[in-house]
Amino acid sequence: MHELAMATQLVENVLEEAKRYEAKKVAEVHLTIGKLTFLGIEQMRFSYDILTKDTIMKDSKLIITEQDGVIECQSCGYKGKVPIEDDPAYHVPVPTLRCPKCGEAARIVEGKECTITSIRVLKQQECKDDCKRCC
Amino acid sequence: MTDKEIVKGEEVTLEIKPGMNILEVNKQLAQKNKELLQKHNVKAIDIMGSIGAGKTSLIEQLVQALKQKYRIAVFKGDLTTTIDAERIGRHGVKVVTINTGLECHLDANVVARAVERISLQDIDLLIIENVGNLICPAEFPLGTEKRVVVVSVTEGPYMVLKHPFTFMTADVMVVNKKDLAEIMKIDTNQLAKQAKDIKPDMKFAITNALTGEGIEDLIKALEL
Ligand SMILES: Nc1nc2c(ncn2[C@@H]2O[C@H](COP(=O)(O)OP(=O)(O)OP(=O)(O)O)[C@@H](O)[C@H]2O)c(=O)[nH]1
Ligand SMILES: [Mg+2]
Ligand SMILES: [Zn+2]
Repeated sequence: MHELAMATQLVENVLEEAKRYEAKKVAEVHLTIGKLTFLGIEQMRFSYDILTKDTIMKDSKLIITEQDGVIECQSCGYKGKVPIEDDPAYHVPVPTLRCPKCGEAARIVEGKECTITSIRVLKQQECKDDCKRCC
Repeated sequence: MTDKEIVKGEEVTLEIKPGMNILEVNKQLAQKNKELLQKHNVKAIDIMGSIGAGKTSLIEQLVQALKQKYRIAVFKGDLTTTIDAERIGRHGVKVVTINTGLECHLDANVVARAVERISLQDIDLLIIENVGNLICPAEFPLGTEKRVVVVSVTEGPYMVLKHPFTFMTADVMVVNKKDLAEIMKIDTNQLAKQAKDIKPDMKFAITNALTGEGIEDLIKALEL
């Protein structure tokens, strides 16, 4: 539901990076979204397209990778995917923070991120001393 | 950091690896809030839950029960109105309304702004009522010591199962509107058990926010 706000921050950050590297155009943005966030991928794309329309990010590709949730148990050291248990009353699968090894409460260590992992930009080649083409 | 450069005519493509976590921005601000509140010995509680779950009613009961023991301030996140702020204000505590406009949640930044409007020296307990919404607020920690999720029995038997990731972010669960459980054919203990299956260290209180029944359990669960 708050994808627009997150996408706004994403676009601002990418534009800032692109400016820092004096890019002319942004071609690709790679984003990792954790499965334990409340961010919808389709809504993210929708906001992205709207927000980039009048910028150097127009028509750039937004490539999203999903990150599974990972928990870590401080009691026994277990680290792994968020376990799924069956609810006894309704027989539906539910994720849990209960450590599958010792039963203690574990904490989330991965799956809550929304990270810009890489950006591909186009920029004018810098002139070398022996450049014959452009100087 | 520049990873590689590929020559392509007069243009080069650059791959930049910022490794920037957008959600981390809020987390860092939340950490700052937490440190500031701790420095002033202020305990802080964030109360989230669906629209109409009973957040304001519970806060009124908490304030009533605790105002002799603590100097209390309340932040109220509301889309546009000040109705809840007025309800809480009647109990003689300081209330700051945070109008969120169209935002579906409070975040650590608006809470930091609200903290600037009160004097932390003059309070010991800060209660924050989040925007009525069981999903979005869970994404944004505010920097409180404890987080409460309120579910009322009138929301039906599936609220916990449908929103496991919200419950994972909470320390205390309140099952409210206990008086209506029988009419709604809801087993309050089952709701609590479902949440405990998701979050083994969850604490519980089963309440009637109209009469104050169960408020003592909530106070105990909050370690207040
Ligand atoms: N029967 C019954 N009604 C309750 C209980 N707690 C709250 N209510 C009623 O439920 C309605 C909503 O309660 P609020 O406290 O305003 O709920 P809220 O979560 O603050 O609502 P929003 O701020 O609008 O999201 C009011 O009419 C309350 O009187 C309860 O334990 N039992
Ligand atoms: Mg309210
Ligand atoms: Zn363990």
